[in-house]
Amino acid sequence: MIEVRELTKRYADRTVLEGVSATFSKGEVVALLGPSGGGKSTLLRCLNGLESFDSGTVRVGEHSLEPGRARTAQLWSIRRRVGFVFQQWHLFAHRTALGNVIEAPVHVKGLSMKEATERARELLAKVGMSHREGAYPSEMSGGEQQRVAIARALAMEPEVLLMDEPTSALDPERVGELVALLERLRAEGLTMVTVTHEMRFAQALASRVLVLHGGHIIEEGAPAEVLSNPRHERTRAFLGLGQAA
Amino acid sequence: MSAEPPPRTRRSSSLPSGYLALAALALLVSCGGKEGSALERVRQAGVLRWGADAQGGEPYAMEDPEHPGQYRGFEVELADALGRELGVRAEFVQNDWSSLIPTLERGGSFDIAMNGVEITPARAGRVLLSRPYYLFSLRLMARRDDSSVTGLESLRGRRVGTLSNSQAWDLLLSSGAQAIPYEGVQEPYIDLEQGRLDAVLMDDIIAQRYGMTRPGLQVVGDVGEGYYAIAVRPGEEELRRALDEALDRIARSGELRALFRRWGIDGAAQQRMVEWTEAQTREVLAETRTTRLGWSQLVLFLQAALVTLLVSVGAMALAIPLGMALALGRLYGPRWLGGMTTAYVELLRGTPVLLQLYVLYFGLASVLRLDPLSAAILGLGLNYAAYEAEVYRAGILAVPKGQLEAALALGMSGPLALRRVVIPQAFRVALPGVTNDFIALLKDSSLVSVISVVELTKRMTITAVDVRSWLVPGALCAALYLGMSYPLSRLARRLEAKLERA
Ligand SMILES: Nc1ncnc2c1ncn2[C@@H]1O[C@H](COP(=O)(O)OP(=O)(O)O)[C@@H](O)[C@H]1O
Ligand SMILES: [Mg+2]
Repeated sequence: MIEVRELTKRYADRTVLEGVSATFSKGEVVALLGPSGGGKSTLLRCLNGLESFDSGTVRVGEHSLEPGRARTAQLWSIRRRVGFVFQQWHLFAHRTALGNVIEAPVHVKGLSMKEATERARELLAKVGMSHREGAYPSEMSGGEQQRVAIARALAMEPEVLLMDEPTSALDPERVGELVALLERLRAEGLTMVTVTHEMRFAQALASRVLVLHGGHIIEEGAPAEVLSNPRHERTRAFLGLGQAA
Repeated sequence: MSAEPPPRTRRSSSLPSGYLALAALALLVSCGGKEGSALERVRQAGVLRWGADAQGGEPYAMEDPEHPGQYRGFEVELADALGRELGVRAEFVQNDWSSLIPTLERGGSFDIAMNGVEITPARAGRVLLSRPYYLFSLRLMARRDDSSVTGLESLRGRRVGTLSNSQAWDLLLSSGAQAIPYEGVQEPYIDLEQGRLDAVLMDDIIAQRYGMTRPGLQVVGDVGEGYYAIAVRPGEEELRRALDEALDRIARSGELRALFRRWGIDGAAQQRMVEWTEAQTREVLAETRTTRLGWSQLVLFLQAALVTLLVSVGAMALAIPLGMALALGRLYGPRWLGGMTTAYVELLRGTPVLLQLYVLYFGLASVLRLDPLSAAILGLGLNYAAYEAEVYRAGILAVPKGQLEAALALGMSGPLALRRVVIPQAFRVALPGVTNDFIALLKDSSLVSVISVVELTKRMTITAVDVRSWLVPGALCAALYLGMSYPLSRLARRLEAKLERA
């Protein structure tokens, strides 16, 4: 599905990702773990071309991204297949919940307004936001905005959903609801890559975890294995911190 | 303003001692008496201050190119002769031609106005006029290749340039022509040559210097005549009489025509000025007219308000998309485009709109022949685009970067993301600025009168000069501006409130 090879990303003279290789297969749910500043968000943003990189390749299906400025046609086809849920959601501030979900299907996919609205209502129902379809982002709580952001991404019928720290702004009881929602999506066969700090979240959802530190993947494996018996001392230190939090 | 004595004034600047004694006596008399007359005031001060406009003033009164600050022209010489006759020094005071009479009436910085002031019933009704000192003809000029202009009758409904509130202006209005008002004497002939006017009707002295020198133009004929006289404040009868007597002496001694000859404006007809009688003065000044504000004026005001609205809306309709393009070019374009848009914005914001209008309308006339209304809309539109660009740029920069990223992540192209997500939100930020600019534009549109568009403010000044009052036309003008801008700000506030929710 997605294949990353020898990916290197620098900001000025700082190397943020160094020779990262990883494969995300169809139907898989992968959690990206690691200390803050380890490069998780950067890696995620490279996967749908929001960030350019300095060497290596990213391949999504038959499309691939090369270092430097990507060709726009490639970019668009990749982004249409890869949904992205931002840590801060970035809902369109001038649109209601429904308007946010309709926007891309109508203007990118060319769906009719009627069809897009029907689909959008189904998706809002799925994420439990039907009762708030007329609300503007400024009138929604963080959890509500996040659910709308997921519905907005799903409206483009992506094959992969990328999520950056989806639990970071949620109350503990809301995390449960999110896990339930994502489990349903996993059951429908959606491939997901999610950055997280929450071990329980990773454990509940992921079929595989990657630990990113200092721009390198230092550990990889099934969640139970990595979390209970980490091989790398950095992972251990990180998990120690993670469990304390 | 007050000049060094010009070359020809030297004579009168060294006053004979007899006059000085007389002046001293007058001073004593007036100190002892009640309020001194204007004539006494002039004699006391030892200076006759005369108002005229040196801009485009050849051959009347103009700045001496070799001696900046000094003035020459046939009226300068006449003023010196008058000063000599009155026993005082003549001093030139610069004042815009179109406001000479209002300034005089208001008790401005000069005692008399002498600058091709024509005897018209309207003027005779508001200030005192001396006996005439020059007989002029109204000369009609047209393009050499245009045989359709044959005389006054042929001008009905056609565009004819002249100075506003002049005798030619009145004549054109009464003959059904569309009179186009100009501030200067050169511009109407330029416009005639460019085909923006069908004819120009001006005093022969002006036509001779500024029109007949242009190869593409021809004289159709002289269609009227009139007189130049000196304007004196109402109530200053004594000063007027002294000037009349002085003019009489200057004319009869042959000095007047000698002076005309020196300036190439003499002719057999000027002998009438020499033999002029008091009875004739009474006759030419008998017809006075005081125009009152009436319905017809109100209609003209409403028409002018419509022109103001048309120019403003047209200019804004141009400024908004162009400003948006400039803002986008600067923010998202390649480096060279960013540099160009920055240069555009700095150039148009950093130079006066008035200058830009002049360049666009007169300066580029040979390559871009715009009619006045199009030039007005284009000029203001290009200028305001620079301001709009900055307002939109600020608006776009105020939209969080995440909004654009979210749109791109959904597969939108850059332009689509801008159109659907960034710009609508930037608009919300920019709206108060855009409203401000539009209201400023409504007022700035008064500048286009320099390229002969009669909009609201110009209409107001024409009428105010006509009816001798600035109060009522001014209030009417202000009411019409407010009537246009207030609903607009209300509308904008409602829109802002509506957008506030989102
Ligand atoms: N736009 C940027 N410019 C410079 N440095 C950046 C930028 N974005 C991220 N970084 C740096 O790259 C490193 C990795 O950041 P990030 O991918 O956000 O880490 P994580 O998501 O794992 O916390 C951090 O040290 C961060 O400071
Ligand atoms: Mg991060």
